[in-house]
Amino acid sequence: MNYILTDEDMKILFSRIKEEYDTYGTVEKEGDIVYEKVDGFESITFGRSRYAPKEFLIERNENVLNLPVQQKKAVFGVMSCDLKGFYVMDKQILGKDPFYTQRRQNTLFVNFPCNVECEGGFCSSFGGPLLDEFQIQVARDGDDFIVSASKEYEHLFDGFRKTGDEQIRKLRKNFLKNAKQLPVEGIENRIKWDSKLWKKYSSVCISCGACNYSCPTCYCFDLFDQDDGRIREWDSCILSGFTSTSAGNVRKELDERLRQRFYHKFVYYRKSQGEYLCTGCNRCTEDCPVDIDIKEVVTHDYSSE
Amino acid sequence: MNSYLPEYFKEFELIWESRDTYTIHLPKENPGKAGQFYMLSSPGIGEAPISVASGHLREMLFTIRSVGTVTSKLPDARVIGVRGPYGTSWPWERYGKILAVAGGIGIPPINSLFDEMVGTGRGKDLEIIYGARSPSDLIYHKQRKEWAKMANVIITVDKGDPNWKGNVGFVTQFISKSETDRDGAVFIIGPPLMMKNSVAESLEAGFRPENIYLSLERRMECGIGVCGHCNVGEFYACEDGPIFQYSAVKHLPELFL
Repeated sequence: MNYILTDEDMKILFSRIKEEYDTYGTVEKEGDIVYEKVDGFESITFGRSRYAPKEFLIERNENVLNLPVQQKKAVFGVMSCDLKGFYVMDKQILGKDPFYTQRRQNTLFVNFPCNVECEGGFCSSFGGPLLDEFQIQVARDGDDFIVSASKEYEHLFDGFRKTGDEQIRKLRKNFLKNAKQLPVEGIENRIKWDSKLWKKYSSVCISCGACNYSCPTCYCFDLFDQDDGRIREWDSCILSGFTSTSAGNVRKELDERLRQRFYHKFVYYRKSQGEYLCTGCNRCTEDCPVDIDIKEVVTHDYSSE
Repeated sequence: MNSYLPEYFKEFELIWESRDTYTIHLPKENPGKAGQFYMLSSPGIGEAPISVASGHLREMLFTIRSVGTVTSKLPDARVIGVRGPYGTSWPWERYGKILAVAGGIGIPPINSLFDEMVGTGRGKDLEIIYGARSPSDLIYHKQRKEWAKMANVIITVDKGDPNWKGNVGFVTQFISKSETDRDGAVFIIGPPLMMKNSVAESLEAGFRPENIYLSLERRMECGIGVCGHCNVGEFYACEDGPIFQYSAVKHLPELFL
């Protein structure tokens, strides 16, 4: 159901949510937008967070031998591209990983779709930014907040003014007017195993792993013993040890590992889960110190090679 | 429920099979099936995926080559942790006759297979080709005698020694002479090149691609399809494998790496 809320209504909605959840939101800090605990709707800064909110569900580093009781958290100001990352990851890891699963079930993400496509971003290629799957989605139309709630959260909207789909449709149309929709569909058939792209990338890549860490859909982790714990830590398929075993290494070369990253995103996941493991957020490209642009993997003319 | 938590054993038996290979015997019934694996661990050492070497509902046996950062330290561990079973198993119940081809440390899941087939009176439907680098690398002296009572067993080494009177040559050389009915299945487990050549020989010998099964070894850290390390094509070896039907994976360029 959709509702039209005023700024005052949003404050009421926030306080209703605060009764059930610890509340977090995007705030400006030292020039960056970051997630912090917030007490009121007025503390939230709309804008692109420096990092994806992946950490709310997958901590950078934690002991898997100790599964804590999860606090109920509500997170305001999530970008749609980052939110979509959770829905995409869900397909592989929800219900399997107890840490992710319990946090997912106890976290309410409130996403704020952008009105204009950001520079570099290409979320509309993956159905963004007004998503079909969300918990509470807050679109902005002038001074109005067009808030869509999934069934589970309808009870928070008692007394607010209901509305139809017209404004959402208008906002979507306006967004698409100036959006760069990439030809993502069918990339799994166009992409080439022997493409020259992989060696081109490996000739500049410094194996830092920033693309994985910044990605809202990269869920891989390393598991190792340290002190009294068994530590799960964010891992990167770009690092040389990712596939090494006592029997050898399946992907010894950097170009093989870079290809793996893009094949996992655009071929393998599509085949296994029916979705691309990318939301068009452009974070990997922005954080890449050598300017490898994931968009090129989609737009490259493989047929000419 | 925290699926990462192992069950710990302070009481267990450790038997050396050869200079670098040992078996851990845990006093617990194996709920898993031949071909499946468990994550074995010890606090402070870490975890490693190990195929079960005993059959379904037998006591757990794990035969391990001491080569990795974890497996080389487990023999000194005072506590062994185990979680699982994980992954797919050898689909032997679907087939009349089965040829198992194992190289090196690939043999434990075949011993598990033998256990299960003998347990249901089907030991005679199994044929085993087992190869190792040298006579001193061959393990399971006692078990091999048990297999030979029921199944046709071919043992071979890559390189003999002055006392060795048996077969010399790769396991692949013996596939075409297999007594197994060509409508039967071939289960292949061992190093990548050995598996690649064994598949080619099996096809050449008249076995069908959909009846050939492989056990893929990949880095596995979680065992539950979450950590991402064992990704091979659209599959995770830990949950879609480790036992794969050859016809379902033959398109993967990274299959035999």
